[in-house]
Amino acid sequence: MTNPRRLPVTGPTLFSQIAVRLGLFALVFALLDIGIVVATYARQPEALAQELLTLEATRIANSPDKTPGAFAGPPGARQWSAGYINAASASIRGAGGGPTTLRPAALVDWTQRERVGAGYRVTGVRSIREGEETRWLLMRFEGEGLRPYVPVILNELTQHVALPLIPLSLLLFAFNIVAVRRVLQPLKRAEDEIDALEAEHMSVRVSEPRAPREVGTLVRAVNRALDRLDESMAVLRGFTANAAHELRTPLSIMQLSLDRLPPGQVRQDLEADTAYMTRLVGQMLDLAQADAMSIDTGATVDLADIGRAVVAMLAPKAFEANRELRFEDRGDTRVRGHEEAIFRVVRNLIDNALIHAPGDTPIEVAAGPGSQISVRDRGPGVPPEDREHIFERFWRADRRASDGAGLGLGIVKRLVEAHGGNIAVEDAPGGGALFRIRFATAEPVHTD
Amino acid sequence: MRLLLVEDNGRLAGLIREGLDRQGFAVDWCETAEGAEAARQVSGYDLVLLDLGLPDADGLDLIRGMRRAKDATPILVLTARGGLDDRVAGLDAGADDYLVKPFQIPELAARCRALLRRPGATLGTTLAVGNVLMHPAERTVSVCDRVIDATPREVDLLEHLLRRAGRVVPKPALESALYSMDAEVTANALEATVSRLRKRLTQAEADVQIRTVHGVGYALFGPPA
Repeated sequence: MTNPRRLPVTGPTLFSQIAVRLGLFALVFALLDIGIVVATYARQPEALAQELLTLEATRIANSPDKTPGAFAGPPGARQWSAGYINAASASIRGAGGGPTTLRPAALVDWTQRERVGAGYRVTGVRSIREGEETRWLLMRFEGEGLRPYVPVILNELTQHVALPLIPLSLLLFAFNIVAVRRVLQPLKRAEDEIDALEAEHMSVRVSEPRAPREVGTLVRAVNRALDRLDESMAVLRGFTANAAHELRTPLSIMQLSLDRLPPGQVRQDLEADTAYMTRLVGQMLDLAQADAMSIDTGATVDLADIGRAVVAMLAPKAFEANRELRFEDRGDTRVRGHEEAIFRVVRNLIDNALIHAPGDTPIEVAAGPGSQISVRDRGPGVPPEDREHIFERFWRADRRASDGAGLGLGIVKRLVEAHGGNIAVEDAPGGGALFRIRFATAEPVHTD
Repeated sequence: MRLLLVEDNGRLAGLIREGLDRQGFAVDWCETAEGAEAARQVSGYDLVLLDLGLPDADGLDLIRGMRRAKDATPILVLTARGGLDDRVAGLDAGADDYLVKPFQIPELAARCRALLRRPGATLGTTLAVGNVLMHPAERTVSVCDRVIDATPREVDLLEHLLRRAGRVVPKPALESALYSMDAEVTANALEATVSRLRKRLTQAEADVQIRTVHGVGYALFGPPA
C-alpha cells in the first residue's frame, strides 16, 4: 500500500495562539490598571497634591547640589517657590538649663491644598536626609487643571502598572514555552501512533496517555472511531458472506437443473453461460472478501507446503487437459501469512497459466529460495506494455475472450498486498511468463 | 449406499437427490439440524452431506455435536460460504471434505466415493476403479477379473492410490505407509515400486494410469468417464 503524501499542515501553532492571547490579555490588563489608577487619583486631589510635592522634593534631593532654586517646579505652574527652612531657628531653650531641641509643628512632613480663584495652591514641607542631617524643604505651588499632575500620574503608572506587569508577562511567556511543549508531548506520541495504523491490522488501537485528560479523551474518541470502522468492516464481511449464499444457491439450482434438459446446442450454451457466471460470482466474492480481509501476521506458514497442496489439488484438472504440473521446493520457505489466502493466490496464478499458456505445455511452481513462490508457464509471456495492466481489475488482454472477467490477478494482487508482499511478472529464461511473489520473512534469514 | 442430505432449500435438495440417485446413491433428505439428529437416531448412514446455513442451527455445531458423540460417519460439507477461513473452520470442526456451491453432480459423486473408499468406511470391502478391482482384506488385485501377480508392497501402494483415486497422494504419506520406520529407504525406492506396478498394470491391460506429479506425489486416474 502506498502511503498518501503528507502535506504540511498550515495554521498557527498552539504556542503562538497562547502567546498572542497572553499578550492581548496583558495589554487589556494594563489598560484596565491605568484606568483604575487615573480614576482613583482624579477623585482624590489631596492625595495627588501630596504625591506632587513628594515627587518634587525627591527630584531636588536627587540633584547633585540640592539647590531648590534650580528647579522650575511642576509643568504649567503659575507660581512656584521652594526653599530650606532652618531647623535650628525653630529650636527653643527649655527651663532646665540644658538645651533641649523640640520639634515644632512646622517641622513635620505636611501638605495643604486650598482653592485660589479657578485653580489651587499647594503648600507643604518635606524632609530631606543628607547624611546624618535632616533638612526641611518648604514648597509652595499654584496651578490649574490636571496638567501639573502629569508627572505624578506617569510616575504612579510606572510604579503600579509597568513594574509588576512586565516581569509577569515575561514569566508567563517562558511558562508558555515549557508548558506547551510538555502538554503537547502526549499529543505528538498519539499522532505518531495514529500515523503507524494500517488498514491491514484493524485490531491495533492508540494507547491512551494518563495525562493530560484532553489528549486522553481525543485518543479515546479516535479509538471509538476505529471501533466503528472495524464494525462496519465486519458488517461488510457479513454482507459478502450473505451475498455469497444468496447468489450461489440459485446458481447451484440453475446448474443442476441443466442436467434435466435434453442434450443439444441450447443445453451446451446454457452450461457455458452458467460456468462463466459461476466463475464470475466466485471471483467477485473473493475480491470483496480480499478487500475486507485483515491478515493475522502472528501465524507462520510454509510456502512449500502450500505450493504442494495447490499443485496436488489442481494436478488432476491439468492431467485432464493433458498437461503437466510440477512443483519444486528450493528451501527456507517459512513466511508470515494466512495459509488459505496464499493458497488462493497460487491457485489463481496456476488457473491463469492453464488459460493463457497453450495446449500441452507444462506449468512449474517453485517455492523459495527464501520467502518467495513463483509460477512459470511456457506460453507467449506477457508483453512489457501489458505488465502494468494485468493486475488491474476487469482488465483483459483480449476483450473478446470470454473465459474470465479479468479479476483473478486483481484478487492475487490484493491478497499479496494484504501480506505486505509484492508480485511481479517477468520473462522466464527460455520463454514464458514467470509470476514471482515475495513475502516478508517469518524470521530474519541468515544468508551465509 | 445410504446418504443423508441436510439442506434447507427444497428445490436444490430435490436436484441433488435426483443427480445422486442416477449415480447409484440412495439419499434421504431433511431440512433442519433437528431433523438430521432425528434421522441419524433412527438409521445409520454411510455419509452425511451437510449444508452449513440451516434455519435452526449452525451446521458447524451439528458437526461438533456428532464428533463429540464419537460418531465417525464421514461428513461432506456443501456450502455457499467460500470465505478465506470457512474451509479451515469446517475441517477443524470435524468435517471430512468441503465443497463450495455451485457444483456439478459428477464432482459431488466423486467426492462422495472418495470419502466412502476411506479405510473403515463402507466401500472398504472392495476397491474398484476402471477395470481394476482389489480386495483389501485378501490382498488380491484383479484386472478384467484376472488376478495379477504383485508383491505385498505393490499391493499396499495400489491400495493407497485406489482409495484416493483421482487425487494426488503425497510422496511422504506413501513412503511412511509402505516402509516401516527401521527399514532403509533409499531415495528412489518408492519410484522403483511405482515403476514396477505401472508395468504390471500395463501388461494386464488395465485402463487406469498412475501419473507422477513432480515434487508432490502420485495419482491414479480411472478411464475418462
